[in-house]
Amino acid sequence: MSQKNNLPAVFLTPAMGILAVLALVPTAYAIYISFQNRELSRPDGNLIGFANYIDLFSDRRFINAIGVSLTWEAVTVGMTLLIAVGLGILLFECVSPRTRNLLALLFLVPVILPRVSAAFVWKFAFHPLYGIATYPYKAITGQPLDLLSNPATALATVALVDVWQWGLFFAVIVLKLLETLPPQPFEAAKLDHARTWEIYAFIALPMLKAPLISLAFVKMIESLRAFDLIYVMTRGGPGISTETLDMYAFSQGFIESGRISYASSMAVLMMIATSIAFTFIWKRVQ
Amino acid sequence: MTKAKTLVSSIAFACLFSTGLTTLAVAAECSGTIKVLAQPRDGLTLLEDYKSEFEKLSGGASFEIDYLNENDRRAKTKADASTIGKYNVYYIDEANVALFASAGWVAPLTDYYPAEYDYADFDPGRQKVATYDGKVWFAPVTGGGDLMVYRKDLLEAAGITPPKTLDEYVAAVKKLNQPDQGIYGTALRGQRGSGANVWRWMPFFKGFGGNWFDGKTPVFDGEQAVKATETYLELFKYSAPGSQTGGWDEAVGAFTSGQVAMLIESTPLVGMAIDPKSSKVAGKVGYLPPPAPLTGGGYGHGLAIGMKANKDEASKACAGLFVAWATSKENEARRLEAGQFSELNRTSIMTSPKFAELYGPDLGQALADTGKVTAVNFWQNPQWPDLGDRWGIILEELITGTRTDIKEGLDELDGFAKDLVARSQ
Repeated sequence: MSQKNNLPAVFLTPAMGILAVLALVPTAYAIYISFQNRELSRPDGNLIGFANYIDLFSDRRFINAIGVSLTWEAVTVGMTLLIAVGLGILLFECVSPRTRNLLALLFLVPVILPRVSAAFVWKFAFHPLYGIATYPYKAITGQPLDLLSNPATALATVALVDVWQWGLFFAVIVLKLLETLPPQPFEAAKLDHARTWEIYAFIALPMLKAPLISLAFVKMIESLRAFDLIYVMTRGGPGISTETLDMYAFSQGFIESGRISYASSMAVLMMIATSIAFTFIWKRVQ
Repeated sequence: MTKAKTLVSSIAFACLFSTGLTTLAVAAECSGTIKVLAQPRDGLTLLEDYKSEFEKLSGGASFEIDYLNENDRRAKTKADASTIGKYNVYYIDEANVALFASAGWVAPLTDYYPAEYDYADFDPGRQKVATYDGKVWFAPVTGGGDLMVYRKDLLEAAGITPPKTLDEYVAAVKKLNQPDQGIYGTALRGQRGSGANVWRWMPFFKGFGGNWFDGKTPVFDGEQAVKATETYLELFKYSAPGSQTGGWDEAVGAFTSGQVAMLIESTPLVGMAIDPKSSKVAGKVGYLPPPAPLTGGGYGHGLAIGMKANKDEASKACAGLFVAWATSKENEARRLEAGQFSELNRTSIMTSPKFAELYGPDLGQALADTGKVTAVNFWQNPQWPDLGDRWGIILEELITGTRTDIKEGLDELDGFAKDLVARSQ
């Protein structure tokens, strides 16, 4: 009996041990050095308390990066779900099951592409002189269209690539979820002369509430890790208009200054903020 | 006559190679793999064809080169050298040599660079930027200054003589700008970075008499910097689309694809512009030193010996042997044969009959002339990348219009510079 009770601990301990080494040690070290003034070029550092954290709030690039990160999260998560639901319903409603399977396969291609490759492909596609995506505009107006150099359009353009990768993938998931729903509620609604949009708005989507919330969470976490896409396409520019928090932290730690303590303080703040935000949203949803 | 020239060149090459083979006879005792972190260069790729030669020379060691583009290479070398030190050889440049040397991340090169490889043969300008605090830290794989490169056909059609002064240059750029015909007056670098937009801006700043520091006091926040920035922004109105957030690749790509009338860029552009394999405008290109009062941006990139991965003297000697072999006269002669103009660094190669035969006397003259105005434009200090990159961001904001007040941007940089100096003390 005693052996049976110990079994979960026997299985869990190695996994938890590995997790502790891989996750907790770097996290604890990041917290520790965030209270120092270490730089890459100077291996020694002194404890300086909360000075890095205080400095962050008078740093215009940090304040800007908070805004950019929040905008990025809202736009990419919102647009991905909108595209996924819209496209999923369209496929379910208008396309034959055989064609659906073929389209589903095609829609999976963007997300299979490594993010860096996708970023390079789209960066060239958006090039104002040679880009295939900007060519129609140039052909019609005679003027080049430089979306990635324009502070007003750069973030939206990069977000478009993110939504292209994930929106199509999520559309396939939504389609498959719709296919698993029982047909009776739909038939009953049709007998009551409900319109198509009403069937989806009041029957299908409420039935899919739980998986859609899960998808939203997955996308929120994924959007937080969009560093590679933004880095390749804009490097945070023009100026600092697409500089997210993780990019600014990396920039401070490794590209510009080598101020790893300052960068760590940003990483710690991000960790705290995301933990609180996700816990809060999760509780609200439950 | 051409045949005779080829014969002379071949004999010269044979002599060069036989000298090299004598060197090969002095075999060292190295083993394992020498790991190199570099940025893509044709000259380094060419080395990979001669791995067996290095194995024989070193007594059994091989080498492996990882490539990253310029900005990523700078970030990764800094991160690696300051932490785990996985690489035996780093590709560093004029902008970060002071940082790498003062932090003790690289070894003094000449302590491990075999004398028979003749370091003194490198172009003096490149030797200068490879030197910090009285010691040499890298062996050049590329470098030079700036040239004004222009389309002869477009200037002739517009009745413009190649400009000699900045005022003439600005006027010519405006006149040659014809976006409706797909031709832009110039191509600048807008992308943030001490080696990107700031690099192209500095010749204006220094040309107008600007200075970065007086001792430890920042003195750049003056009328010279304002005037340089105003001129740079004025020229950006006529710069090819894509260059506002682009760097070297975008500027050079726009020129070699035939969409730019004239630009001032680093000397390797010429090699690309006159090569029909990489340029649509080959045969239509002229080159002169930058218009007065602009200074040329003296630069050099090269290979340095990492300290952490090479724990003992023998390892450092093996890394030094690799650097020496990679930058040797023999390998540079191979690069010349392969038409890799931008990979040439040795005086003996650039003054050789083969060089004159391949590139003609005009280029040699232009390089000699531009050498007279080439200068070290950046602040030679370990903290230069930090300061330069910060100005790069402010400058990119000014170029793309998210910021409009030049003086306010310079004041912000001034505050940053003072903080930087205070932090370093």
